[in-house]
Amino acid sequence: MTPSSVRLNRWMVWGGLGIILLLGILVPGVMKMVVLSLLLAYIFDPIVTAIELRGFTRTVSTLFFFAVVISILVILVSFLAPVVVTQLRALQEGAASEETAGIILRMQAFLRSELGFLGLRDLDLAARINELSASLSGWIMNYIVHEGLSLIVFSVAVPFIVFFLLKDGREMKKSFISIVPNRYFEFALDLVYKMDVQLGNYLRSQFIDALTFGVLATIALWLLDVKYFMFIGAFAGAANLVPYVGPIAGALPAVAVSLFSTGDAMKAVQVIAAFTCLKLLDDVVIQPLLVARGVNLHPLLVLLAIIVGGELFGILGMLLAVPATGFSKVVLQESIVTLKKYRLTD
Amino acid sequence: MRIGLPGFLSRGKKDGMKPRFRDTLKMIPIFTDLTRRELAAVERILHHREYHAGEVIFRQAEPGLGMYIIESGRVTIRAEESTDSVSELGDGEFFGELPLLDGGTRSATAIAKTPCRIYGFFQPDLFGLIERNPRLGVKIVMSLAAIIGMRLRAANERVESLLRRSAERGTATAKRRSGRR
Repeated sequence: MTPSSVRLNRWMVWGGLGIILLLGILVPGVMKMVVLSLLLAYIFDPIVTAIELRGFTRTVSTLFFFAVVISILVILVSFLAPVVVTQLRALQEGAASEETAGIILRMQAFLRSELGFLGLRDLDLAARINELSASLSGWIMNYIVHEGLSLIVFSVAVPFIVFFLLKDGREMKKSFISIVPNRYFEFALDLVYKMDVQLGNYLRSQFIDALTFGVLATIALWLLDVKYFMFIGAFAGAANLVPYVGPIAGALPAVAVSLFSTGDAMKAVQVIAAFTCLKLLDDVVIQPLLVARGVNLHPLLVLLAIIVGGELFGILGMLLAVPATGFSKVVLQESIVTLKKYRLTD
Repeated sequence: MRIGLPGFLSRGKKDGMKPRFRDTLKMIPIFTDLTRRELAAVERILHHREYHAGEVIFRQAEPGLGMYIIESGRVTIRAEESTDSVSELGDGEFFGELPLLDGGTRSATAIAKTPCRIYGFFQPDLFGLIERNPRLGVKIVMSLAAIIGMRLRAANERVESLLRRSAERGTATAKRRSGRR
């Protein structure tokens, strides 16, 4: 590399970073895409490296990985599509079914007689549920119509960014480090390496934990014959990313659905017991196995992160808030440790 | 077992390494046994740095991360407590290789005597290489271990010869004393 090409490389790195930052500020969706792509690239990097280990180039390894992922998705969609469609239909018709209407009437009678002193004597539960259902469907339709285009852009752009992060991530890191002045070069390299290891372990363990919990919850709900078991299981897995409130938020829809669809309190108790067992299994077996999960975040920090994530990026922001906060904490921790090690004063 | 791959799929074809620098790399004991393809893989993880005359490359007692290979220019290596330079290195020579193995502190200070173009070979990149290409990683680590082993043997021989000389001096002094009596 000649001195002019070094300078050009520096300009390109700074220029690229500047453009991403500017786009992130001007178009909030870009930031969401970049953050999600970064997280996914971190999670999948070891798989591509394992393929590379067989002697393939990084590009071929990345292409091979994407081909496998797309094949798995196609197989999953072709197998699960009928189940999903059935469950979606059931979800649409659920509130209108005679069985559900009977349960609602029974609950209405119970509430009127037992909690009448709270002003529930004239409660029309069916009307209230219909109102809620109508506003919810309206909100979902509105969301699909308005966000449909950005959802398509999102689902195309994220894999695209992940592909290039996986393929050229190492070169990008090298280019980024090359702009650091000589005095701080080894320090920066050490810091980037340590952060890389820590972050990779943390994010991968979070992902594996959420995936395992989601799969186990889906199986448990299917065994208990709970309606919409796939949606609720997937939601429970994703919600498990959020400490403290996540497991409860994941179990609530399952309990509500089992209660409303059967009207059998025992069924709801079984669902609660299943989720309690799963959470115990997660705490006692899965999490200790995923050692690197131990990025302890203060409950208040978690709450603030979820609120800020939700305000800025909606539901996805709420789900990504905890991993993103963990990411920031690791960056800060490693920076302090490495700074102390190098004691860079001048 | 590695799968045999057609050239366009396998690593190391598009190396873009300058022939002269590849020759320089090949001269370095750590990389002597490497094939052209393996040298290209090493070249990809090297960091190119430029230093102006008088600029400190690293300081004694600072944590070290790896070794440096001089492409062009001259580098002075000296211990902080003395102003005398321990050694002066030039094109194709390397220094600071011990932290590549132990990640320990630097035993001397390295300063660019003239404007220098230097390549850095660092521990995190070596770890990455070992992960992706263990065969190549082991080759490099074994060469490094051999160099360290050679130095240890040389240091042992020097200590032994010093001890022998000191013992001989002690015997001669004792004989002289007993002769005087």
